[in-house]
Amino acid sequence: MSELLSYLGIVSLCICLLVSLAQIKISYLKSKVNYINYFNLSLIQFVSCLLSFLILIYIFITSDFNFSLVYQNSHTEKPMIYKLSGSWGNHEGSLLMWILILTIFNFMFASMSKANIRLTEITIGVQSFLILGFLLFLLLTSNPFSLLSESPNEGLGLNPILQDPFLAIHPPILYLGYVGFSLIFSLAIAGLLLNNIDKNWASIAKKWTLSAWVLLTAGIGLGSYWAYNELGWGGYWFWDPVENASLMPWLAGTALIHCVSILEKRNTLQSWTVLLSILTFALSLIGTFLVRSGILNSVHAFASDPSRGLFILAFLLIVLIASLFIFARKGPFLDKEIKYHLLSRETGILVNNWLFLTILFIVFLGTVYPIFTDIVLNENITVGSKYYIFSITPIIFLFIFAMIITPFLNWSTNNYKILIQKIYKPTLLSVMLIFSISLYFDKLSITEISLLILSSILIMANLNSNILFKNNSFYLTSNIGRALTHAGFALLIISIIANASYAKEKITQAKVDDKIIVGNYDFIFSSISQEKEKNYHKIIANFEMQQHSGTLKKLSPEIRFYNNPPTITSETSIARMLFRDIYIVMNVPENQEFINVRIHIKPFMNFIWVSILMMMIGGLFSISYRIKNS
Amino acid sequence: MREPVKQRIIKLLIGASIIFVAVLIIIFNLRDNLIYFYSPTDLVEINLNNNQEIRVGGLVADNSLKYEENSSIYRFVITDEKNIINVEYRGILPNLFAENKGVVVEGIYSGANNIIANKVLAKHDENYMPPEVIDALQKEGKWQGE
Repeated sequence: MSELLSYLGIVSLCICLLVSLAQIKISYLKSKVNYINYFNLSLIQFVSCLLSFLILIYIFITSDFNFSLVYQNSHTEKPMIYKLSGSWGNHEGSLLMWILILTIFNFMFASMSKANIRLTEITIGVQSFLILGFLLFLLLTSNPFSLLSESPNEGLGLNPILQDPFLAIHPPILYLGYVGFSLIFSLAIAGLLLNNIDKNWASIAKKWTLSAWVLLTAGIGLGSYWAYNELGWGGYWFWDPVENASLMPWLAGTALIHCVSILEKRNTLQSWTVLLSILTFALSLIGTFLVRSGILNSVHAFASDPSRGLFILAFLLIVLIASLFIFARKGPFLDKEIKYHLLSRETGILVNNWLFLTILFIVFLGTVYPIFTDIVLNENITVGSKYYIFSITPIIFLFIFAMIITPFLNWSTNNYKILIQKIYKPTLLSVMLIFSISLYFDKLSITEISLLILSSILIMANLNSNILFKNNSFYLTSNIGRALTHAGFALLIISIIANASYAKEKITQAKVDDKIIVGNYDFIFSSISQEKEKNYHKIIANFEMQQHSGTLKKLSPEIRFYNNPPTITSETSIARMLFRDIYIVMNVPENQEFINVRIHIKPFMNFIWVSILMMMIGGLFSISYRIKNS
Repeated sequence: MREPVKQRIIKLLIGASIIFVAVLIIIFNLRDNLIYFYSPTDLVEINLNNNQEIRVGGLVADNSLKYEENSSIYRFVITDEKNIINVEYRGILPNLFAENKGVVVEGIYSGANNIIANKVLAKHDENYMPPEVIDALQKEGKWQGE
């Protein structure tokens, strides 16, 4: 049975490989047989990959330890959801999922494309080239269906730190985002080859860019939520290379969305848009390379095998050199120059693009420099998070400033009078509001106060001019998507500042019946107990959180002792309240009468998650508006 | 519709100098915030300024872990089997922290082979050894793994 499944899995991948070759071939043939068209072929690509992926899931669910992959990453005692997520929680499985998502986008584009037939065919040809490359990578270096000569009775298990519901869905969503940008890349290369980058191209590209952006945002948000819940450090972003690897395509992709807007409305900046499309996908590939090659020695790096790293690097170089070669030959002749006033919306968006690229440069340098010194100078260094904070903060000022004024500027002409009329009320209101707040919250620095004022103006100006109140009911303007996303970004900045300046932390040891005081709260350590679960046993400490002698919440952090692989983890216990999170982690030292406890009070945590949601919902509004009007 | 050449050159020069200054600021900022990794022996051999932020890795020495109850401070010694450094840490030790196992700490070097740690880096499982620690032990020929 296992032999048959292994055979089937590999054969269906080979079918996909052959069909991808056919796809590349027909993308530059003029005459073709009726039924061999890009749509049917893309359907076969999708179905054959799906079949292979379903086999992978099946062998994980049934814990078939004849497969070396299942043996290394699963265990019979594991709950079903983690057996399932275990199938993509490893290198081979995640790569197969990456390819499946490539074929999904390929198929969706083939069935939904409104572009002319040549543009569609070549886009799918380029996309099939990417599928081909990754299939070769999978089959040559990381076969997920390789069998063991002897069948063990039990697997080695999945790292318990990865056994979390949010981490189960984080990789699929993140990959949907990464791979979504592959389609824009293919579309850009096809447009270049056909000299066909215009308003029409932009309106097709914009929908796909927005979709990929929403998914990538969700993926990054989920990853951050997981780190906050599971790692027990009380933080949600660590400027870890793996996090940066997902932030870089996000920054380039966000710049791309804005740039595509100019192309769509004004039919200019053709070559710049194409270059950003290439850059965004290249950064997605670099992200995969950094994470999957094991070149980073960071908290996330679980995979390591140099041959794989070299393959991805070679593939990345082929894709980059080929696309830049095409770009160099065709790109410079695409541009249609137009004139616009210095104080116009075009300028605003270009400024925004440059700021995005500056942040991208900062993040890239901080991520890659330690790898460079490690390889070239054999020096082991880490980049402190202060580097990112000090470098990025000044740019955020300019950034929010540009975000406030640009949407109120006209295309091509100057109309500063309307701008002033639109923003003077939010400005006055924000200045008064933030100043009165800062009298009460006296820890805030001048930098923070000014950032808060700017963010507050951004929120008010956006909501004020896009949610209208007429005849006793609310109306949303067609720009509500953009307004929500921008307001969400401002709320994120506000929440980050509040969270950083007013967080409290207490580290102490505690015996049963001890009382710990943090801020306005008392924590009574009421009892300690033990429980046995399916694949681990745990020690639970029970705390009562009190304010003015009334019990508000019960908190129970845990220590888990996993059997397979033998690992100890600390589970946080978090009380989520509107304006603050109370976050407790503990551990049990050997041969001691007490436990160690760390209690955090983290203001505005919920608002961080809400602001990310707002940005995503804004993106969804923009997509649905476009679908309705096309 | 092309602008005169002179105007284009001026624009390019302004752009280039802004980029140059920005890159310079970023690189200096990066240099100021780099955290170097040292083994205990490295620390003996070089003269490090006090109050510098560094990382140190090695094995936790046998019988060195002490806990001061009234100040909640842990003290332990990191060794590469040749030289040692004393660590002072106020916080929660990771679950898999143990004597004779590998560890990496990040903190402020306070002179005379002392470091006040603000992070003790967690390991993922029993078998994991931070790559820096392997390097540090290999240098002294004390590495016994594969």
